[in-house]
Amino acid sequence: MTLYTHILTQILISVVSVAGVFVLTGMTGMFSLGQAAFMAIGAYTSGILVTKLSAPIYLAWPAGVVLAVAVGFIVGLPTVRLRRDYISLVTLGFGEAITALLNRTTALTGGASGLTGIPKVTTLWSALVSAVLVITLISLFKNSKYGRQCIAVRSDELAAKSMGINVPKVKMIAFLISVAVTAYGGCLYAFYTAYVDPSLFGWKKSAEWVIMVFFGGVNSLTGSVLSTFVLSGLPEVLRFLQNYRAIIYAVLVLLIINFKPAGLLGEWELTPRNLRRIIARGRRVQQPKGVN
Amino acid sequence: MALLKVEHIYKSFGGVKAIQDFSIEANRGEIHGIIGPNGAGKTTIFNVISGIYPADEGKVLLDGKDITRMEQHLISREGMGRTFQNIRLFKGLSVLDNTMCAFDPRSRYGVPGSLLPLPKRYAEEKRGREICMGYLKMVGLESYAQEKPENMSYGYRRRLEIARALTCEPKVLLLDEPAAGLNPVEVGELTELILRLSRELGFAILLIEHRLELVMNISQIIHVQNFGKTIASGTPGQVRSDPGVIEAYLGKEEC
Repeated sequence: MTLYTHILTQILISVVSVAGVFVLTGMTGMFSLGQAAFMAIGAYTSGILVTKLSAPIYLAWPAGVVLAVAVGFIVGLPTVRLRRDYISLVTLGFGEAITALLNRTTALTGGASGLTGIPKVTTLWSALVSAVLVITLISLFKNSKYGRQCIAVRSDELAAKSMGINVPKVKMIAFLISVAVTAYGGCLYAFYTAYVDPSLFGWKKSAEWVIMVFFGGVNSLTGSVLSTFVLSGLPEVLRFLQNYRAIIYAVLVLLIINFKPAGLLGEWELTPRNLRRIIARGRRVQQPKGVN
Repeated sequence: MALLKVEHIYKSFGGVKAIQDFSIEANRGEIHGIIGPNGAGKTTIFNVISGIYPADEGKVLLDGKDITRMEQHLISREGMGRTFQNIRLFKGLSVLDNTMCAFDPRSRYGVPGSLLPLPKRYAEEKRGREICMGYLKMVGLESYAQEKPENMSYGYRRRLEIARALTCEPKVLLLDEPAAGLNPVEVGELTELILRLSRELGFAILLIEHRLELVMNISQIIHVQNFGKTIASGTPGQVRSDPGVIEAYLGKEEC
């Protein structure tokens, strides 16, 4: 396998997780600093089921997602009724607790030395199909009644309640969808690298995803996907710069936040209608040249 | 039976008695004006009626049902629509989607329909769009359906707030200073709109307003608030000649 297919597969797996974070942070305005822990639950559950219990993959992966959603429900329950900031605190604590737990339960998870021997199942193509499928589901969600309600909650919780929107329920739905998608990303990841260890799923990973969503545009799924490609691809492209890569990454993020606070694409989405508009604009620009 | 019956509500914030013994009874087709100087507790009355804060004492009945301790979103679904003093539209959603948000709680599809292209979803979305377009047309915004609310004038945003409140299919509509920030022409249009809505939809309207000409013209009954207390209530004529009101509020206007 060449280096490029390797990088591309990893980016596509990140796209899956970032799409999950988009529902939570981009659409609903909730910041989870423990989102990577749900990826860990997906990765470890499916990995352990296959390596230790030799369960078939088509059972192990859904089990990973279901367990993550069940845990997400318990984590979400006390937070959805509170102000949105509280979920950052609760998920941060939860995420760090999960990594600590994974480090401690050596017999089951391999502890700090990681879980090995996971079969390599994920390929570039299955990652691509997963990414496309997840993006489709989430763009359908964004244009549905709950998608609209998520955006309404992000914009103004009080007004949303006054319009009959059940705010805690909408927050919970957004949270669980993002958990399910992120956990699925974890399954893809574990069965691609064939090895997972707790240090991969700390709060830094979660924060990185939040940055990606903000970089791309707070209300644009297209932007989140684009920024995942840019921000995960960039360190690979700039490998020759060695340690200076981190500086370039930071400068890029700061520039966007300063000059485009709504993110790279803001609210713009790549829809057939917007695409046609761009093409039409391109033609209009070209036409005068033809006349002259 | 009265559509809205508020019985002796009290609300304090620490030592501030924002509402003391406020009562109102509003019937179908009636417009009630609530006036008073700044800080008289007018918006607090709306916030208690619509469930943002619970009342300390007293009862709120909507169409005979006790809603005093109900959650805010359930009160809305019982038939309470409201607008806000400082416009609170949903940023990031189009004009049509802003009104759709008020329809969505009644939309009959669930989470699976939100993620998958099920036929039920498209049928319900279509039904919602038709209802919402109807209300947008009523306030004269049907040609701005795809516009972003941020790009519209203040007057149009006020109307959109009214359309969104109408989409809740209210039995009682609470309008919190709908004319604030409007120019005289827009105030005239708004007055007509409120009268037409009251006639056509037949709900009860409660109106907080600083512009006395607007309130006096369209309200059947006016309640005058000062320092949390109702100092007078009655027809515009009665209120106008009430000595207590003239002293507390209108006196300044006549000087």
